[in-house]
Amino acid sequence: MTNETYNPKQLLELAVLDAYGLLEPIESDLFNHSFHDAPATIQDEIKQMQEDLALDDSLLPADMPPTSLRKKVLDAVAETADKEAQRLAPLALIGARASAAQAKLGSSKQAAFWRTAAVVLFGVTVVLAIITLDAQRKANQSAQIAINTSTNNAINDMVGSEFAKYVGNPYCQVVRLEREDGSATGYLRIAMNERFGNGYVIGIDLEENEEIIIRGTTANGEVIELTRITGDSPIVGREFIIDPALVGGMTIAAIDAKTGKRWV
Amino acid sequence: MPNDEPGYRLMRRVALGEEDAVAELYDRYCALVFKLSIQFLSNNAEAEDAVQEIFVRLWKTADRFDPRKAKLVTWVMLITRRHLIDRIRKKTVRPKQQEYTEYNEVSATESPLPSNIVVHERNAQLWEALQSLSEIQRTVIERAYFQGFTLREVSRQLDTPLGTVKSALSRGLLRLRERGLKDASSI
Repeated sequence: MTNETYNPKQLLELAVLDAYGLLEPIESDLFNHSFHDAPATIQDEIKQMQEDLALDDSLLPADMPPTSLRKKVLDAVAETADKEAQRLAPLALIGARASAAQAKLGSSKQAAFWRTAAVVLFGVTVVLAIITLDAQRKANQSAQIAINTSTNNAINDMVGSEFAKYVGNPYCQVVRLEREDGSATGYLRIAMNERFGNGYVIGIDLEENEEIIIRGTTANGEVIELTRITGDSPIVGREFIIDPALVGGMTIAAIDAKTGKRWV
Repeated sequence: MPNDEPGYRLMRRVALGEEDAVAELYDRYCALVFKLSIQFLSNNAEAEDAVQEIFVRLWKTADRFDPRKAKLVTWVMLITRRHLIDRIRKKTVRPKQQEYTEYNEVSATESPLPSNIVVHERNAQLWEALQSLSEIQRTVIERAYFQGFTLREVSRQLDTPLGTVKSALSRGLLRLRERGLKDASSI
């Protein structure tokens, strides 16, 4: 949490840079925090200025998009959505695969660990897709049949049992974050229970030892650090607690603790 | 959360993956997104690719739109600009500090038009408007906005305080807009 804020004059000057996406992550967070603390008249002035800037096409080329682009865009969005859904397809087999893998483990504990980890990694990826899709797309049949006991058990072994409370929970809002600059792999999924005020974050494929700060901005603009996770294994998960009164209207963001790079 | 705000309702539907909502979002903002993409990128094909990526990114981030903070068009154009800047950062081999220092010593009279923007009739107005700015305003806009350098990098390159860079950039962008509006009204 930070107590530093920009004054209205600074806010108005930085509003241009904020609208153009030119503020660095830490400054952007501070701007947002200060914005929420600013008088309503200043907020309105900033919103109006930024809207005017966004709508201004006076220095843009006159070219218009070709009519064929509309279909390409809709197809691209649908294809991306479908790719997430496709992860669900093999999910019904995960339980069987996990059981089979465990049955074949034999005497090598190391082999057992890595084989289980591979199965679990796949399972977690799919389950994360499910909780994302539960929140963001209409549930489909494969999602409904996919979460089975074996899968849950396998994932429990890796990240603990807490995550299960959030899968398919209607009170959970789920936010998915990826690196803004797309510079490396890695995914974050944050589930927050709006009723009880607890939440869970899972990180997959984080870089070794990178530390990610998960933060929430309340409806009043207060920035709260929710938790941190560190990339010390292929999958990391952590439960966190927060005052339920603060969850409503909260927006979630994440930044790299060292570089300040943003996850969106 | 102001659930009755039209932009918020639309983005909730986009987040849910409703095709009609994505189509509505496209129909509202495709012109602006495309024009900005074509200004940043070197050809139509690249711009079309970027537009597709931008709308995918808008779908991915739809649940983060906060109508208390900004109007929907502001959010759409923010995501668009960030994406284009990221794209430039990925594809451009940018000069190192020493090269920029040398550049500073000789660049005052050179074209202010960013090097990654095709010198083309479509950007003539922008080129003229950039000419009307002070040297520092022109330079920081070129580097931070069109070449994708962070403000701290620009500050180091120009050996100028970060606050000065921010002020020059903010004022320069506002002045560009005023110039554009003036030109538009005189047509």
